[in-house]
Amino acid sequence: MSLPEKTPHQFSHPVEEEFARILDYYGIEWEYEPRTFPLQWDEQGNVTEAFTPDFYFPQQELYVELTTLRPSLATHKNRKLRRMQELYPDIHVKLFKRREMRNLMVKYGLQQAAARIQGTAAQENS
Amino acid sequence: MIQPELQPFAEISKDIREVLLTPEQIQARVIELGRQISSDYAERDLLIVGVLKGVLMFMADLLRQITIPVAVDFIAVSSYSAEARDRGFVRLVKDLDIPITGRNVIFIEDVIDTGLTLNYLLRNLRARSPASLEVCVMFDKPVRRLVDIPLRYKGFELPDQFVVGYGLDYREKYRNLPFVGLLKPEAF
Repeated sequence: MSLPEKTPHQFSHPVEEEFARILDYYGIEWEYEPRTFPLQWDEQGNVTEAFTPDFYFPQQELYVELTTLRPSLATHKNRKLRRMQELYPDIHVKLFKRREMRNLMVKYGLQQAAARIQGTAAQENS
Repeated sequence: MIQPELQPFAEISKDIREVLLTPEQIQARVIELGRQISSDYAERDLLIVGVLKGVLMFMADLLRQITIPVAVDFIAVSSYSAEARDRGFVRLVKDLDIPITGRNVIFIEDVIDTGLTLNYLLRNLRARSPASLEVCVMFDKPVRRLVDIPLRYKGFELPDQFVVGYGLDYREKYRNLPFVGLLKPEAF
């Protein structure tokens, strides 16, 4: 089985790159940050806030957002996600939280990648 | 605190923070699943396919609760790892010995979380044109699901935490525990 060679992406976090490798390994079609969703506009109609989910799976019609932020620092992103659900209820976005990302990396034996997502105790108690 | 009946496993249970499912709870659910499958496939040709290695405990118990004639086969795939990723794609480590074309197949899996492995395997099996293909999974971790897969038969839902036992491993350990427990954070 072979998939068409992908254009290299400039990932904003090493965990995203590892996540993309996992998807490639299991033959999941994906796109990186393919679409930006406006969330807020000023009086002139200019977009003042927007949200760009990290990944899109065309076959599943699913957007995936990864976060490595501590729960206490993820408030802004969570608010954006809630706003996104209000404005675009037909768009499915799945948030992979910090603990879930770390657990995924540990599951695949990627201890270094897991270590980059720091703060084990905070994750387990969140 | 490990329950008294689990004391014989004290050596490997020391890494367990909490027992989530006792052997009794597991066996009760396995009996129900066996009855359901026996009823659904009565007088139909049935092939049970398990994916190694985690399915070993569940499959052995489930088969003994299925009261209709079945054929059994196994498949195994490579898991993603730092080493495996350099090879590029998932590969079959052990293929089926029995052709599945035109047969009713139940695919048995110990646990599903992202669904990536199961999705790959189901794509592979569907390409062989079985008459029907259903999924039976003992443990479901839906929080991390990336690929939506219909689960015809399901044992239990589990939280997205490190659970081991009854076939579930962490670095190939703990599969032989007769219960399902949460691993202590210091163990991983």
